[in-house]
Amino acid sequence: MSDEKRYLKLHLIVLALVVIAELIGTKSYKLGPGTIVLLPMLYALLLGLLTGPKFLKIIDKEDMNAAEGLITVSVMLLMAKYGTNIGPTLPLIIKSGPALILQEFGNLGTILLGMPFALLLGLRREAIGATFSIAREPNLAIISDMYGLDSPEGRGVMGVYVAGTVFGSIFFGLFAGFAATALPLHPYALAMASGVGSASMMSAAVGALVEIFPNMAEEITALGAASNLATGADGVYMSIFMALPMCEWLYRKLIRDRAEEVIKG
Amino acid sequence: MKLSLKDPVVITVIVAILTLVGNFVGYKIDPITAFPGMLILFLIVIVGMWITKIMPGNLPAVVYVSLLGIILTMPWFPLGEKVAELTSQVNFLALTTPILGYAGISLGKDLDSFKKNGLRIVVVAIFVFVGTYLGSAVIAHTVLKLTGQI
Repeated sequence: MSDEKRYLKLHLIVLALVVIAELIGTKSYKLGPGTIVLLPMLYALLLGLLTGPKFLKIIDKEDMNAAEGLITVSVMLLMAKYGTNIGPTLPLIIKSGPALILQEFGNLGTILLGMPFALLLGLRREAIGATFSIAREPNLAIISDMYGLDSPEGRGVMGVYVAGTVFGSIFFGLFAGFAATALPLHPYALAMASGVGSASMMSAAVGALVEIFPNMAEEITALGAASNLATGADGVYMSIFMALPMCEWLYRKLIRDRAEEVIKG
Repeated sequence: MKLSLKDPVVITVIVAILTLVGNFVGYKIDPITAFPGMLILFLIVIVGMWITKIMPGNLPAVVYVSLLGIILTMPWFPLGEKVAELTSQVNFLALTTPILGYAGISLGKDLDSFKKNGLRIVVVAIFVFVGTYLGSAVIAHTVLKLTGQI
């Protein structure tokens, strides 16, 4: 098959995937403090997987390699849109106080807590993609651009992305409720922490906090939303300039320490 | 010069068309209404990719593309409000569907290693979520205390 025909076939398959996925539409189911959300992109991912040689056999190995190259370009439109979502919110973010700005660095906690556990579980380069962020769409785009989505780093970010899409809001709803009752942290601080960079996860966390502190409902909602906007705005730049370099450094350090232990032990 | 279906500009045009279809099917925004916004996004991508090529420092294209989007919609930019209004006709989720379609197709070849590590990565996701929440909450609490706000 010529290259041109191959690409034409891939685009037509994706056109069909898009139409089917969007026709099914977003489905959400309430569960405990959060919601299970199934988005069209998730159906597109699964249906795309089904076209492969293990299932429907519509596409072959070379088609898959060609599709990989298309992802990197296709994320660019999403990043342009992402920028246009942030621009109008800049004045609001700049107006918010130092606590709100500084707590953004807390998002690097994904690495400090996630990386050691990921390596303990036996992951290797996957750990970098899985722990440098909470793996929302912009983070997927970054990994696709810098490592490629078919790299180990790509599989890592993809796994957390899918997990977060399906269970993220439930998890944050539960965990915010737990943190509010079990930890000595002020409700305002918990509200700011809720802005993790995903509107559905933030809403679930804020919802749980409001349930526990109904007399602070207004402040909690406002702080959560402002922090979510801030994470949206700084997320890409924080990921590229701080989180990924930090991940690479911690990865090398932990892997080396482990290697030394093995040699000594 | 013959345009190839492999050319990034051509791919971007095709993805734009796919998105307009999804934007119509899923979010009921007809392609004519969404076209000006999509054209703006397309131009941001093209200019962003060009800037990536001529700028020193080897930064990934996502940096320049998203930065251009921010600058063009800031309230301080003369046409900011108009650009934001036009691009709002393109749904964010509609843009993600084709990407995940291509990703699904290409994921097929990594299916075995994905299956092998998939469950472990989901477990790691929990630590990742707890990490960002606690990290931010502890810093916010400390700063609020130090500045005497709580």
